[in-house]
Amino acid sequence: MDVLRERLVEALGSDAVKTAPEDLAVYAFDAYTDGGLPSAVVLPRSTKEISAIVKIARDCGEPIVARGAGTGLCGGAVPAVGGVVLSFARMNRVLELDERNRRARVQPGLINQELSRQTASSGLFYAPDPSSQRIATIGGNIATNAGGPLCLSYGTTVNHVLALEIVDQTGEVFTTSIDDVGYDLTAALVGSEGTLGIVSAAWLRLMTLPEAVHVSVAAFGDIDSASEAVSAIIAAGILPTALEMMDAVITQAVEAAFHAGYPTDAAALLLVENAGFEEDVAAAEAATHAIALQHGARSWRSARDRAEREALWAGRKGAAGATGRIAPNYYTQDVCVPRSKLPQALRCVEDAAREHRITVGNVFHAGDGNLHPLLMYDKREREQVAAVIETGNAILQSAIDLGGTISGEHGIGWEKREAMTRVYSTADLATMGRVRDVFDPARMLNPEKIFPAGTACPEVAAP
Amino acid sequence: MNAAQERVTPENAQALSEMLSRCDRAGQKVLVVGGGTLGGMGYPPEHCDVALATSGITGVVSNERADLTIAVRAGTPIQSITTLLASQGQFIPFDAPQAQYATLGGTLAAGWLGPRRHRYGRLRDFLLGTTIVLADGTIARAGGMVVKNVAGYDMSRLYVGSFGTLGVLVQANLKTLPSPPQARVFLAPLPERTRARACAQLAALNVVPAAAFCIDGFHHAIDGDEGPDGRILTMLEGSDALLERATLELRSALGRAGVPHTRVVDAGAREAFERVVDSYLASLGERSVTYRLFPFAQDSEGCARDLCDLARGFKLRSETIVDVLNGDVVLRVSELDAHAFAAKIEAFDDALHETHPRARVVAGKHPQRAYLRVWGCDPPAIDRMRALKNRFDPNRTLNPGCFVGGI
Repeated sequence: MDVLRERLVEALGSDAVKTAPEDLAVYAFDAYTDGGLPSAVVLPRSTKEISAIVKIARDCGEPIVARGAGTGLCGGAVPAVGGVVLSFARMNRVLELDERNRRARVQPGLINQELSRQTASSGLFYAPDPSSQRIATIGGNIATNAGGPLCLSYGTTVNHVLALEIVDQTGEVFTTSIDDVGYDLTAALVGSEGTLGIVSAAWLRLMTLPEAVHVSVAAFGDIDSASEAVSAIIAAGILPTALEMMDAVITQAVEAAFHAGYPTDAAALLLVENAGFEEDVAAAEAATHAIALQHGARSWRSARDRAEREALWAGRKGAAGATGRIAPNYYTQDVCVPRSKLPQALRCVEDAAREHRITVGNVFHAGDGNLHPLLMYDKREREQVAAVIETGNAILQSAIDLGGTISGEHGIGWEKREAMTRVYSTADLATMGRVRDVFDPARMLNPEKIFPAGTACPEVAAP
Repeated sequence: MNAAQERVTPENAQALSEMLSRCDRAGQKVLVVGGGTLGGMGYPPEHCDVALATSGITGVVSNERADLTIAVRAGTPIQSITTLLASQGQFIPFDAPQAQYATLGGTLAAGWLGPRRHRYGRLRDFLLGTTIVLADGTIARAGGMVVKNVAGYDMSRLYVGSFGTLGVLVQANLKTLPSPPQARVFLAPLPERTRARACAQLAALNVVPAAAFCIDGFHHAIDGDEGPDGRILTMLEGSDALLERATLELRSALGRAGVPHTRVVDAGAREAFERVVDSYLASLGERSVTYRLFPFAQDSEGCARDLCDLARGFKLRSETIVDVLNGDVVLRVSELDAHAFAAKIEAFDDALHETHPRARVVAGKHPQRAYLRVWGCDPPAIDRMRALKNRFDPNRTLNPGCFVGGI
């Protein structure tokens, strides 16, 4: 331990290395419930320093866990078995803005929203927009292949990563690009949750800001009608830019907290954004409106200006936080189902919550079929904790039964690794394991994540 | 390369798995064959005992129209997928040449990049899940039938563009898009003096076209007769209202560039577009080689001009298609005489890669293919790619030596 600290301080200076118990405690958790203490926390300033840290950690037999802002909900950034945590708080800049080719080279610690803020004056923006985008970092977004409301039309993070600079498990630096011939290593690295390498820089694709943006809210008398409207909108071949749903539990909490302008007497709201060319946006909005009415929408209100639009979105993005008014704690489940199964999936959520007497709030990416039931509880009450775990598990299983998956956008991390066997066979997982064998044969990069315990070792993965 | 001793056509994934694992254990080398349309890509295999055709593994597994998703077996021809999707108001921008023969598996394995990706995204970004058979016979699934999925590594995208060297795709699950209601094509002659300005104007259009090409040559493949040397072909897609505005914008942009006279094709617009895509692979047998290059969009026109100058230095005939929006350049170099061509092409290939290290060969049947840099120069992460190949196919059973860096 002393050797580790000594060598890290020697390489990076004492202000970049934290080993005091009170400092380590800060990095023991992310937004998941379980934590683990690191041996040291290091704040590199450059790719070279990341490389040095990896070499030292390796020499000392310490695992390495890369950490962004710690907003992950699945324990992906938790040092499950200790080790060195890399925080990218000092690598948070846009290195290069290439307006002409609509791309930017950024450091992993850059805050997501900061990129769009810095490129707005050039008429450009970065599309993936997780709800945590005001604090979440690009590195963390890449690790989890983060989504967000706009991913319905623009796709998730992997669609927007053009090239990566990676520090590997030996400290060596290499680059990948989606334009390189050969295997698409960029795609393999995005979403690998820090188990294949450490992103030290990324070229990201920027999009042109749309000329027209319309945001509307439709209110429904019951959840079934709202979810059936969503399925009908998709089935009609209408893909809004974003199509989000919130139930009454959420909208009431949001209104109390933010005064976003949501109707509070509705059982469910749909938040619809259509962006693009004026002609198409108006037509898409009219078509969406018509389907909402057919499915019993009680009201339809369109934002009149930018301020109203932003208020409607601010409510959505702050929804999870607003639930603090309902219960001291909440657990977010993240599952994705085929979009035609949305009404059934929501009924399963209702049933599971009722059975276990848990208050549930639904706020999610309805257009993608990506559910986020928030299960409210008080962690001081042991019975409630047990009930939340049961409810979350039941929701997970119902999504699988409907042909869905166990994570739409939050990742597997520490939390869901045992559930991987419910959607993948041993052969499927061993095939993923082959990729791990190449990039991290010793399992020192973010160990105990993604793969179920005991299946990730090379000897088990081998056919 | 020796001729394949045996051709096998398994009827399903299980049969394919058994055949592959038998070959793998016996040390037999396997060449994976789809529709044969991209036979001009890659190196000839170092050795081949068995030609494994995917043509027995066809058909739609599930067509989830209301979900905008579809699962299809890999040997299915692209055209039958696009026809089915069109009948239900949907599409996937495959933009694969010779779509009646090209298979889904082959198109994905070759990492085909179509012209409409600028507007709709790359084919890899439509992939939701895959089933693959590895060299040892392992049948592995990845992803699923949902549009967002981060459960585990993104294996499906890793297989795209892997040229059949990691495994044999047997099924792909894809998301679809609602079909654009209308398509309209604009054809215009493109005199040399207006070329640079026309490209710049097209790239700067507000209402971005679905595709825009500056074409020089390829007359037989595209027009069916000889015509003026250069021409522009632009396809707009969208609603009637949007096309109306786009038409005005396009006309005035081309007018500003000095492009003389524009002809509009409404009926048969997509066919005109498809003829351009088909011509990417149009080959003159042993008398031509076609390269694809990927400069930045704004450099593509200049790049095409440089390439023609380079070819002229070797007294080779050059024809180009510039995909103005993506920045691809398709370059076909040819000679009237096969012997004369054979005498020059290696030296040209060297000179080309000196200035354009990423240039890849996409078409051309000629004996020297093995001596050209058909994949361009090795990518920076080639060692890791070799390690990956070694972990997936340690006996080098699949397509040995066909891919970049001897993979």
